[in-house]
Parts: sequence; structure tokens; C-alpha cells
Amino acid sequence: MNTVSIVNRGQLSLKQRESILGWVLILPAAIIIFSLILYPIFYNIYLSFFDVNLEGGNTYLGLDNYISVLLDASFWQSVLTTVIFVVFTTLGTTILGIGVALVMNKEFPLRGLVRSLILLPYVAPVISVVYSWRFIFDPVNGIFMDITMEKLGLFTERFNLIEQPQAAIWVAIIFSIWKGFPFSYLMILSRLQAIDGTLYEAAEIDGASAWQKFKRITIPEIYFVVGSIVLLRLIWNFNKFEEIFLLTDNVRVLSIYTYFKAFTGSMEMGQGASLAVIQFLLLIGFILFYVKRVLKW
Amino acid sequence: MVKKRSLLRRIGFVLIILIIVSFSVFPFVQMLSTSLKYQWDWGNPSLIPTQINLEAYKELLNIGQDEKNLPESIKMLLDESPELTKAQKKAIIDKYKDTGSVFPFMTFLRNSMGFALTASFISLIIAILGAYSFSRLAYPGRAVMQRGVLFVYMLGGVVLLIPLYKLFVNMGMLVTESGTFASLIIIYMVQTLPVSLYMLGNYFRTIPFSIEEAAMIEGASRFSTIWRIIVPLSFSAIVTVFVYSFMIAWNEYLFASVFLRGWDSLQTLPIGLRQLFLSKNAIWDRIMAASMLTAIPVIAMFMLIQKNLVGGLSEGGVKE
Repeated sequence: MNTVSIVNRGQLSLKQRESILGWVLILPAAIIIFSLILYPIFYNIYLSFFDVNLEGGNTYLGLDNYISVLLDASFWQSVLTTVIFVVFTTLGTTILGIGVALVMNKEFPLRGLVRSLILLPYVAPVISVVYSWRFIFDPVNGIFMDITMEKLGLFTERFNLIEQPQAAIWVAIIFSIWKGFPFSYLMILSRLQAIDGTLYEAAEIDGASAWQKFKRITIPEIYFVVGSIVLLRLIWNFNKFEEIFLLTDNVRVLSIYTYFKAFTGSMEMGQGASLAVIQFLLLIGFILFYVKRVLKW
Repeated sequence: MVKKRSLLRRIGFVLIILIIVSFSVFPFVQMLSTSLKYQWDWGNPSLIPTQINLEAYKELLNIGQDEKNLPESIKMLLDESPELTKAQKKAIIDKYKDTGSVFPFMTFLRNSMGFALTASFISLIIAILGAYSFSRLAYPGRAVMQRGVLFVYMLGGVVLLIPLYKLFVNMGMLVTESGTFASLIIIYMVQTLPVSLYMLGNYFRTIPFSIEEAAMIEGASRFSTIWRIIVPLSFSAIVTVFVYSFMIAWNEYLFASVFLRGWDSLQTLPIGLRQLFLSKNAIWDRIMAASMLTAIPVIAMFMLIQKNLVGGLSEGGVKE
């Protein structure tokens, strides 16, 4: 007997019928999300103890995958790269986001146009902007080399900044800030617009300076929005893959490290799975640290 | 004195806005400019092309390519042989034309459209029902479900990639073309559903329940109130959610790059663009033109829904 016929017979109270309907309506979405999120997580943990073979069976290895991953120096290198990337992009997007939001909160001509232009980096597909950035840093044609070498004479010869392992991460960080700051700006701006204007008027009457108003009114008002966008940004950028992978081959953050382990060369999917588990645990540690120490919740 | 200071402040303010705007927009201007330049002009730092070159766009969109690759001798042969019918001539030209085999941009475009439209349409239908359930019906377990959906944000693509890939391989989905298509659609739905559920749920809550109540007193069922009342009233939110889902699927690279291995006929724009960049005939004007053509549909759609999207984003439905 299916639920619909029960409902139609009217044997159930209105409340019961409502909760059945509620479950029926959410079910398709719930099945898709949970079977493709929860199940894969457990399956991934399972796989991380095996030598995974795509065609044949898996061989049980115990903790071998974890041991070989943790003993690899390049793994620790990529943890460090990830932390640098996450910390600087989060700081950059947030600070720039606050600054731009404060500017855009003022009245000026063409503000509507300017506001939508600023959102372009966030909206455009990564793949479509990444090559423009590569062109800017292109050693032969790019404007970056033209300015720094030809005009300013900072370097003696042309080179590709994105191909330099030391410099590539900073290009990736700037690119990621460029791509991500509009989101922070948007969130903060909508909070700024909700601040009661009389607060500022009252402060002015009391003779507060612009800095005092910012520190005593604006900051407390946007504190929680900033706290949550920083949290979101930490999570997103910790898992970031496409932005970095498509821009440069030289920045191996954890996601990219895992991708190369699991899908190129000898396709070590088991090790890849254990890396994914480690990455998830690190992320949780990172978030707990942030919530406890920075937000002091 | 006071006037002078305020003038300086004004100039400073305008300057700051100019810096912000050019930081945001410069890569796009660079893209447009290079896509229109001839090769000898690339190294020129000026953003205005010395001479406009539309060749890259024509080649990608396959406009006016008929005669271009035709050797002179064949052209002469065609001109001097009136006995050939039109169909025969066309067949000969077709043999030589086919820039599509060099870089099948139109195929990529079609595939991207196919994936993005299908995924966002199905996900929208499911999300409307789910969001109605979240916002209107009370039942045990609702809060857990709502929070559980948020959990998806915590997981990066790479963390899910390995188990999902192995899962779909085990199910034998990736052996056939339609199976591969379906697998990727399902994956895109997982990524778009949480956002859609939240944005729509929040919007549905703003519609007064009394309107529905009136319809139900008249004898309308729950389902018909959803389609007759909720959907028309939240049309703008629905369009917004659709576009947002479309953008997520349109931009996706990671899963497509792994799942579509071996299916050249299904490759999407992001994959195609990367191939073009890594291939030997990587030419900046073509890459930039292809980038422009990838960005334009998304930007155009965004302009359409901008107001709603901004509201929807700040009400909690976000995914990157």
C-alpha cells in the first residue's frame, strides 16, 4: 500500500498527512544528496585501507596507505602550501571585501554599473578567465613583463612568473583573491545597508570621528557576517581545486596533490582515498581552531 | 581651505573607485582585446587592437570557413566545371572545410548546454518540491534534513571524486555514452540541489500562507497549490535558482575531466578550452575568443537575474 492511498482514505489526522507529504516531497532531493554524499564518504574511508584496482578486486592493506602518505615529504610540502594559500586568500578576500563594501556603501554617480562590474570576476567561469591571467603573465606578450622589465627595468630578462615554483603560489593567491573578493564584498555590503543610520547620527552628535564610528559601530555590526564569510572562505579554499589547477602546474595544494596521486601515473586510488580522509580531518581541525581561537564561540 | 580638502577627498574617492573597477575588469578587457588582435599585435601592451581581427571568432563559430581551407586548384576546378550540380560542389567543399575536427568548439558548446540545461532543469523540479516541504510542512526530522543538506558545503570536489568515480565505475555507468551523461547529470544535481533548496525555501517562506489556504478551502490539493500558486508567485526566484544551477554546471571542470575521459563526443567547454591551451595549435587569439564565448552566456544570464541573485546569495544559499 503506498502513501498516497493512505492519505486519500482520510484515516490519518491532518498533522500526520502533512508530515507524510513533507517527507514525500523532500525524498527525491534527500535520496540524491545523501546517497551521493554520505555513502561516498564511508566508501572512501573503506577504500583508504585498500589497494584499489579499477578492474579487479581490492587488496586489504591496513594502514599502509596512510603510512606511505604520511612518510612522504611532498605530502607535508603540500600541507604547507595549502595553509599558506588558505590563510592569505582568506585575509585578502576579506580585507578587500570590507574595503570595497565601505566604498560602495557611499552614494556616487553610476554606482549601479560599478557594482555589477565588480561582480564580474565572481560570475565568470574560472576556465574563461584563467587564460587571460596566463596571458597577462606570458613572457613574450604579457603586459606584466612589459611593465616590470621594459618600463621599470626590474628584471634583466623576460620569464614566466607562473612557471616559477616560488612565485606561482603568489600569482595563484592574487588570482584567487580577485575571483573571491566580490562574494565577501556582496555579503558585507548587504549587512552594511541594514545598519540603522540613526546610530551614526547619534555618534556624530556626540562628536565621534570617522575612525571612531567605524570602530565602535561598523565593526560590531558586521562582525558576525565577517565571521561567517571567513568560515565559508576557509572551507572553500581549503578544498579549492580548479582555480589553482587550471592556472598553474606548480602549486600543489592538497586537492591537487590528491588528484595527481589518484588519477595520473600509477593511479594510486587507495592512497588518494586516504589523502582525502586526511584532508577532511585537517579541514575539521582547521575549522575547530578558527571557531575556538578566532571567533571565540 | 575646507573646500580644497573636500575636493581632494573627492578626487581620492574617484581614484579608489577607478582602481577597484580596473582591478576587477582588467583581465576581461585584456581577453577581449587579445581575441581581436592579429598575432603581430599581441606583444603590444595597448589594449586597443591596431587592426581588428575577427578570424578567431569566425573559426570557432564556423562562419565563412567554406572557402578558406580550399586549395587553389580545387577552387579553379569548381569554377571551371559547370556540369557539377550544387550538391556535388558542396560535397567537395565539405571535404576540405571541417575546421570542426581541429577544434570542435561547437560540439563543446552543445555538450555544455546539454549538461547544464538538463541538470539545472531536473534539479529545479526536485528543489521546488523539497523547498516547499522545508518551508510549509512540519514533520519530525525536518531540521536534521535542513542541516544535513548544508553539510555538502564542507566537502571539496576532490574528497568526493574518488569514491564517486569508483562507485559509478562499479555500477557500469561509465561504459556507455548515455550512462556517462546520466552520471555527470546526477553529480551536478548533487552540487546544485543544496543551493536551490535553500534559496527557494527562503523565498517560499515570504509568500503568505493565507493565499494557499484560500485555494485549499476551495478544494485544491497540495500539489495543485504548488503548481498554481507557489510557482507563479515565485517565478523570479525560480529563474534565479535555475540560472545559478546552470552556472555551476557550466563552469564545472573537475568531475567532467575524470568522468568524460574516453568520451570525446561528450566533452564540455572547460575541458575543450584546456585541451586547446595545451595543444600545439594553441594560439592566443583563439584561446581568448573561446574564453569570451564561454563567459558571455553566463555573464548575460547573470545580468538578467542580478538583483534577485544578490538577494538570494545573502539569504544563505551559496555554493562555490
